[in-house]
Amino acid sequence: MASAASSLTFILLYGVSYGLVLFIISIGLVITMGLMRVMNLAHGAFAAIGGYIAVGVMTNFGIPFPLAVVAAVAGVVALSVVLERLVFVNLYGAPELDQVLMTIGINFIVIGGLTIFFGPNVYPINLPDYLTGNVDLGIRNFEIYRLFVIAMGLIVVVGLWIMFEKTSFGAKLRAAVDNPSMTRVIGINVNRVFIIAFGIGSGLAALGGAIGAGMLPLEPYYPMKYLVLVLVVVALSGFGNMRASLAVAVLVGIVDTAGRFLVPSLGGFIIYIVLVVLMVLRPEGLFTKRAA
Amino acid sequence: MVTQGNRLGTITVVAGLLISTTAMADTLKVGVVGPMTGPLAVMGEQWRHGIETFMELNGDTAGDTTIEVVYRDTMGNPANAKQMAQELIVRERVQALVGFGISPSAAAAAPVINEVQIPTFLPHVASPALMEASPYFVRLGQNIATNAQVAAKWARENGMESAYVAVADYAPGHDVANAFKPAFESAGGTVTGSDNVPLSTVDFSPFAERIAEAQPDMVQLFIPPGAQAVSMVKALAARGMMEDTLIMGQGEAEDSDIHLFDGTIKGFHSAIYYSESLDNPENAAFVGGLQAKFGEDVLPSTFTLGAYDAMALIYAVAEEMGADFDGDAVMEKLSGYSWASPRGKITLDAESREPIQDFVIRRVEDVDGQLRNVVVDTIPQVHPISGS
Repeated sequence: MASAASSLTFILLYGVSYGLVLFIISIGLVITMGLMRVMNLAHGAFAAIGGYIAVGVMTNFGIPFPLAVVAAVAGVVALSVVLERLVFVNLYGAPELDQVLMTIGINFIVIGGLTIFFGPNVYPINLPDYLTGNVDLGIRNFEIYRLFVIAMGLIVVVGLWIMFEKTSFGAKLRAAVDNPSMTRVIGINVNRVFIIAFGIGSGLAALGGAIGAGMLPLEPYYPMKYLVLVLVVVALSGFGNMRASLAVAVLVGIVDTAGRFLVPSLGGFIIYIVLVVLMVLRPEGLFTKRAA
Repeated sequence: MVTQGNRLGTITVVAGLLISTTAMADTLKVGVVGPMTGPLAVMGEQWRHGIETFMELNGDTAGDTTIEVVYRDTMGNPANAKQMAQELIVRERVQALVGFGISPSAAAAAPVINEVQIPTFLPHVASPALMEASPYFVRLGQNIATNAQVAAKWARENGMESAYVAVADYAPGHDVANAFKPAFESAGGTVTGSDNVPLSTVDFSPFAERIAEAQPDMVQLFIPPGAQAVSMVKALAARGMMEDTLIMGQGEAEDSDIHLFDGTIKGFHSAIYYSESLDNPENAAFVGGLQAKFGEDVLPSTFTLGAYDAMALIYAVAEEMGADFDGDAVMEKLSGYSWASPRGKITLDAESREPIQDFVIRRVEDVDGQLRNVVVDTIPQVHPISGS
């Protein structure tokens, strides 16, 4: 029988790695929701497209995994900026139901497109050898891939923190989230901030889709399949709150992993119980300052 | 005289034309109803492979009857299944149905089928109790309880003392668990753990962790093919279980799906009734025809095979009965019917309308650098185990 310490570290490490993938995929939506108040339910489609690009260039052109990930992010950033100008720009200020219908529609178009070009089945990823296998961490063995995902997640967190807190773009972004009209008044081009933020958010989704493909297999239904998890993170984070969404994503990962490990038959919905409880207690988001 | 002769000739030609037009009008319409798009689209695609391969090899006539196939997409939704079956019967006037991706869809359409007595061929749906829903159902796959019992018996004969059961938390998963456990235990084995894996599971490592901690000799799985099966196998492999534990499934690693997995699938066992590597002339024709039409890298699955065999039965009946596909007469003819399928000899059990067929235990191995299912054992002519 394995020791309690081994089980606990299992829950922590696997939960955190799962949570960090969710974070990378969701953070873009948290930011753009906060900025533009657009309910972009097609956000998961960017993650799926990112994953498909990465695996596509790996299998078809033999491009190494790190470069494939870069290609995926670059491709999705370009695509998303074009889409923002052509499609999403029409949604700013539109009623929420219109936004939901439109972006769900985009999801179905992407699902149909992926099915036509890549078939209805899983699109398999072959991770490079240096990411497969286990490494002995003293307490127990761990998959190298999971550790890699954790490392990437932490890099994204630090990168985003620097961008938000230390750059002038970050300051503009925070200003635009808090009060878009006042930000305009002082001469900041909020539309440009929108486009850049939208591109970054979609690029991060692509990054999550690509590096997470070993954990969340790519399939045409990806944009819908993981939508609920992404929305959980977004709903509990509050608008544009990165710190909260990191905490929520990791919490979701750990609770889900622990739930399935400890009480497998209930494991499927423990996370939703947590969601309901938190929504009742903190409807504005986990770390949002309460209005006076 | 000459004109007379000409006239006679003309009459003969006209009569001949008339006869041949009637012969051409003698068309049997077959409705195919199932998931052509949506999350289960693989099923519909592989049926189409099976049906088109059969028609490529055998032409579109059975005797004097022209066979025409009409497809309807349920998108995997049982509510659509009933509506589409109805539409095929009423509007398209089909006289036979091939279909249903999941057992609930077949059950939903059963009342319509019973009312108009349409012989309905089920390529793969596997719920044990399903056959009670309609006397016009013919099963070409298996009853899922049969696989589980075959697996339990084989594992005991091969020295497995303890087993862990991990099945997807929906009806077919429960059917597998309920059939496997008593079979394994009555053969002297011990079931040390049993998990129902929620269908919403994305990360399977918690289950792999539980199973690994229990250290069983074997694991009996039932996980839906595609993303879930891929993730489950990866998670088990990450715990090193593919090497030291017998991992037994059914349709998780179909030949057509092996390429979805990475090398960690090596060693995965399945108890099932077909393998692409079977050596018989019918299988050679089937696989050859499939690859000639759809490409060298297309491999058959039990879905492809089920639809192919459904067409074989329809052709066999149509050859004798023509397009007059009276439901009861067709069922009468098929009762105890035996033919040479790519899977080997198959007989439709008169009682259950399910196949009596060989089962194979197959293992995924690296064959010349390619992952393939290799048959390691054959259990001849297994009778279906009664449902419910």
